[in-house]
Amino acid sequence: MNGRTPTRLNALWETRIFTLLTLDGRRWLLPQTEVQALEALPDIDPEVRAPQSVGAITFAGEWWPVYCLSGELRLLPQIPAGRWVCPLLNNGADRFSLICDQVETLVEPSRLHPVPACMAPPDSPIQALVLLDRGLGCVTTTESVARLIATSGMSGDGLDV
Amino acid sequence: MASMFENPPGNSAAWILALDDALRAAVGERELVYLIETPILLEAPLSPPYCRQVLVWNENLLPAMDLAAYLRPGKPVRRAQTLAGVFAYQAEPDALPAYGALLLAGIPERTRVADDHACPLPKQLAGWRTLAISCFRRGDDPIPVLDLPHLFTGGLLATV
Repeated sequence: MNGRTPTRLNALWETRIFTLLTLDGRRWLLPQTEVQALEALPDIDPEVRAPQSVGAITFAGEWWPVYCLSGELRLLPQIPAGRWVCPLLNNGADRFSLICDQVETLVEPSRLHPVPACMAPPDSPIQALVLLDRGLGCVTTTESVARLIATSGMSGDGLDV
Repeated sequence: MASMFENPPGNSAAWILALDDALRAAVGERELVYLIETPILLEAPLSPPYCRQVLVWNENLLPAMDLAAYLRPGKPVRRAQTLAGVFAYQAEPDALPAYGALLLAGIPERTRVADDHACPLPKQLAGWRTLAISCFRRGDDPIPVLDLPHLFTGGLLATV
């Protein structure tokens, strides 16, 4: 939870396959090992809610809260048009889904660049930057997104079924 | 100022930068390393409003800082054209040079500065106190000298 630690950066530097999530046109990359499955919009049960989630998806016998984030990773109370695909993120400690415009696999992207110190505080969810064919991508992790959601006012405990 | 510009005592060289159509600042002669007339800038999310973009330069991503936006927060920046200057700085005295970019409204102008040109920072914009390490007078105009290591190592993050 300490932001861009050298250990975490080294681990990301060794990551060869990323999952590229598109949110409002912004591109976010997570290690593919943290994406357990893909589900779709109709699979969301809007009646099953964790605080600030837009619903939940049942997978492998468990409820996975689904959050809707803007391209700047701000929690949105409603699902914008165009969002349809829900990667299930799991790093062993955090388990949830984000509803995205698009999800792609990115094999061996161009090299990761450190985030300039003047652009983000150490606790920013952006761990690195990468040049993509269509602009800039931001590398993050499930842990970073989970922390961001938690600090946006969520307890993260339990679901109202 | 003399030590910053690494020139003979009492008479130094500097570049005067147009931050927008009105604001001027200066850097040492050796700090400006490259000028890009039509920079390709890529927007980065979750970045401060004065540093929303990065510039691709020599296969590196440099922060592209808009100091006019920092000095006049919330107001539109007026620039007839936007250039990018690439600047070298040292984060620590013995560190290797690092690089960052500033958005500019025109081609920098070279000038010479004497020690007796030193003057107080402009009072109109409080942000100068964070950006500048000194100031000199050119004619009637005070020209703040930018503290590039402070700017590019995150010194402004705590101020917004």
